[in-house]
Amino acid sequence: MLTDLFHRLRALFARNAVEHEINEELQFHFDRQVETYQKAGLDQAEAVRRARLKFGGLDQVKEEYRDALGTRLVDECWRDLRHAVRSLCSNPIISITVVLSLALGVGANTAIFSLVNALLIRSLPVEDPERLVIVGDTAVESRSWSNPLWEQIRSRSRLFDGAFAWSPEQFNLNRGGEAQFVEGIFASGAFFEVLGVRAAIGRTFTSTDDHPGGGTDGPVAVISDGFWRRRFGGTPDAIGKPLMLGSVAFTVIGVTPPTFFGTDVGRRFDVVLPLGAEPLLLGADSSLELGARNWLRIMLRLKPDQSLDAASATLRGIQQQIRAATLSDIPDSFRARYLEAPFALTSASTGRSPLRNQYARPLVALMIIVGVVLLIACLNIANLMMARADARRHEMSVRTSLGASRVQLARLVLTEVAVLTGIGALAGIGLSRWMGHLLVQQLSTRNDLVFLELTFDWRVFGFASAVAVVTAVLLGIVPAWQFALSNPGDSVRERGRGSVGGGRSPVAATLVVGQVALSLALVVAAGLFVRTFASLSLRHVGFTKDHILVANVTAPMTQYTLPRLVTVYERIREAVAAVPGVQRAAISDITPVGGSSRQNLIDIPGSALSEADRIVWVNVISPGWFATYGTRLLAGRDIASTDRQNSPRVAVVNEAFGRKFLQRENPVGGTFAAGVPGSTTSFEIVGVVEDAVYHSLREPVPPTMYTATTQRAAARPYVNVSVSMPGGSSAVTSRAIAEAIHQVDPNLVLQFTPLTEQVDAALNQERILALLSGFLGALALLLAGIGLYGLTAYAVSRRRAEIGIRIALGAAAGSVVWLLVRRTGVMVAVGMAGGAVLSLWASQFVNTLVWGLEPTDTVTFLGAAVTLATVGALAAWMPARQAAQIDPIAVLRES
Amino acid sequence: MPDNRVELPQGTLDLLILKALALEPQHGWAIAERLQQISSAALQIRQGSLYPALHRLERRGWIKARWGTSENNRRAKYYELTRKGRAQLETETDAWRRLSAAISQVLEMV
Repeated sequence: MLTDLFHRLRALFARNAVEHEINEELQFHFDRQVETYQKAGLDQAEAVRRARLKFGGLDQVKEEYRDALGTRLVDECWRDLRHAVRSLCSNPIISITVVLSLALGVGANTAIFSLVNALLIRSLPVEDPERLVIVGDTAVESRSWSNPLWEQIRSRSRLFDGAFAWSPEQFNLNRGGEAQFVEGIFASGAFFEVLGVRAAIGRTFTSTDDHPGGGTDGPVAVISDGFWRRRFGGTPDAIGKPLMLGSVAFTVIGVTPPTFFGTDVGRRFDVVLPLGAEPLLLGADSSLELGARNWLRIMLRLKPDQSLDAASATLRGIQQQIRAATLSDIPDSFRARYLEAPFALTSASTGRSPLRNQYARPLVALMIIVGVVLLIACLNIANLMMARADARRHEMSVRTSLGASRVQLARLVLTEVAVLTGIGALAGIGLSRWMGHLLVQQLSTRNDLVFLELTFDWRVFGFASAVAVVTAVLLGIVPAWQFALSNPGDSVRERGRGSVGGGRSPVAATLVVGQVALSLALVVAAGLFVRTFASLSLRHVGFTKDHILVANVTAPMTQYTLPRLVTVYERIREAVAAVPGVQRAAISDITPVGGSSRQNLIDIPGSALSEADRIVWVNVISPGWFATYGTRLLAGRDIASTDRQNSPRVAVVNEAFGRKFLQRENPVGGTFAAGVPGSTTSFEIVGVVEDAVYHSLREPVPPTMYTATTQRAAARPYVNVSVSMPGGSSAVTSRAIAEAIHQVDPNLVLQFTPLTEQVDAALNQERILALLSGFLGALALLLAGIGLYGLTAYAVSRRRAEIGIRIALGAAAGSVVWLLVRRTGVMVAVGMAGGAVLSLWASQFVNTLVWGLEPTDTVTFLGAAVTLATVGALAAWMPARQAAQIDPIAVLRES
Repeated sequence: MPDNRVELPQGTLDLLILKALALEPQHGWAIAERLQQISSAALQIRQGSLYPALHRLERRGWIKARWGTSENNRRAKYYELTRKGRAQLETETDAWRRLSAAISQVLEMV
């Protein structure tokens, strides 16, 4: 076995030496034989002749010897490869087109898969991620919890192999003025230990560092590899240096390895702080002691032999104790539910990701679309290759007559396909990195940056290879099968003109029909997604999107108390309103589509609705807020500056509120109570405004109540200043606004966002889907058009003699055109029918992705059909028109 | 050409080569001469077909080759039996004897 392999390898790689040896050996034998004959008395010529007879022809023997080397298969494949490359180079346009289409197709597929891999499939880069689980309840898989509850779980973490809590945050590097945020995490002391992440330099923090206000080393911070390089230049003496966050100095104690990005997929962190540092940064607004504020996420590590169910049972077993110990802060009416709601554990080996929830479905849809585009491209290429094979029929028949078998011819063609696919796939893999990065960039919005590392791991590589292999098989099957069926030797006899039909047409026709069907399905999908995005963008939102700048102002709670802030915010509003270029300024807790929301429970006298039905959405606003946003006041009045602390509480409600709770003509003057039973406040409705989008563009506007900033006892630590500036550039004005706020208090932290960006960010997913599917749908149309054109052109070329005769016999140009277009038309019609069926079947899967129309929307279908029919007509008409201009005499002379 | 030469049955060339090398290493021409001698020229072997057969035996590890100098001071490739080759020779000789005995027995029957 080994000797065999050795000899074969030697014959492969030391071929020249082996050939030389063969020659020498055979020559030696031959010479000896001649010598013997000469010694026996024959003369030179006779001796040579006899020797040759006895020996056999020298070249023939050499050929037999070469057969015995055992490298025949490899030799033939290598020869096929050289032939393939030569013949591909002789047709550069076709070869380049094919390689380009394959590169784009394979690249796009691999890019989207690498995104799917990074977001949906890949495990966290920590130790043993399969043993990690996240704590939620039966309603929400990964909800957040309060710190007192976490403390209860932490004290019982011996029941598992460790537990930690964390919260993704943004930390401000600046002390006041416009914010410079870094991505951060508050994490409990055991965070790194339970995850099994060791510091690359320095050390990570442990439970001893996690005390309120700092541990033995004071306030410490662990930074990421990227932040270390950007901020500290990647020098080892960064350890021990101070890092200012807000007005607190932290000591950098360690740097994490470059592969660790935290436990949230789609985010990365720059700085990790222990939970105990939270009061240092948030002061009076600290959440550590509050049992009703949920902000921490909790993960557990299962013991090696502990199953998910066992751990769930354990957790539920101690649930009562945990809940009971943290009961004090929970309002009475919620207590029963608080005690009963069961914990639920879900596997967290792939980390936590709101990005995943948002993009899982669209990504899968995109993958399918891109796969279909590749399929269409393959069908086109297959047609191209068949056309090329046709053109080479003569060459093939010559080869056959020289002794090539069908298998060898098929192998030759397959080698060409393999070379094309190989080059295309490699180029595609290279392209995919670039495409993937482009796509990830699209996912980020201004305030919500996405960081997703698209690693080229074995899964992605395996996927790319599988796509390449399937493509090669698809492309190779048709010509190889054709060879197996037809007899290549036939074409030596025939002249290749005038035969109608022929072996190629039915297969080619099927391919084109398939292309048309797939293209129709894609165009329908693109139409649906584009219309969804358009509908959402143009939806009546109840406020003006343009010329409004939102400034988010956060007050450092180390210096303020909540009651004092009420006056501070008022001063901010006045200062900003006075800035030149500002038409109006108003403050509020919530801004439209801003990502946050507040709700409250109300009670209407005489209402019989259940508790769940009496939830309304709340915004606290200043006078002039509606005017700033252009939301129309329909009845009554706006919040006014006369509504003060000692006046009766007033509220403005929207139409939805009035429709749901007060089926009267005019809700103005009505009253309701808001708040948890036991601590309600009574409000009088003084005005009604039109419905304005609060939180989501996809859902109908919820019933909303607006109360006055001037009428509350204590503010929140942040406020949104909404500024309407009909003229003026945004940059200049925002600097002036920042200056104005700085005058009020230099410690306030600012973040500016134009409202248009805020609203656009909410539609990012729909925008990407519309963009990509539109682009891919157009590409599919183009490919189908090319396929139809090619087919018609080929039919024209085959039937040139027939057409020439028809024209010579007096047929009108129009009838000739119709003759050719008719066949293509039939194929397009059949293809569209198939495509319609495919789309109807597929429509059940895209229900959640479309908005404002049904997935089987008739207008979209019709539009797609008309588009495709137009493209088909154009594609068929062009070669047909040329056919009508054939000069019959020239054709008949072509023999 | 004398008419009483018999065609070599398939696959037996290998056996003959192994036997020819049983005594001492030889180069290809010498093997051909020896076979002719021993069989009293009764076997008709096309000399050229010797070499592919030799290479196949070499690939299987039953003979091994070495370049040396021949009697007339030219470079020639010498082949010799390996240990595996000797064992193979015995096995095949045995098999051949039993086969020919069996066939003879069948042919003897009236």
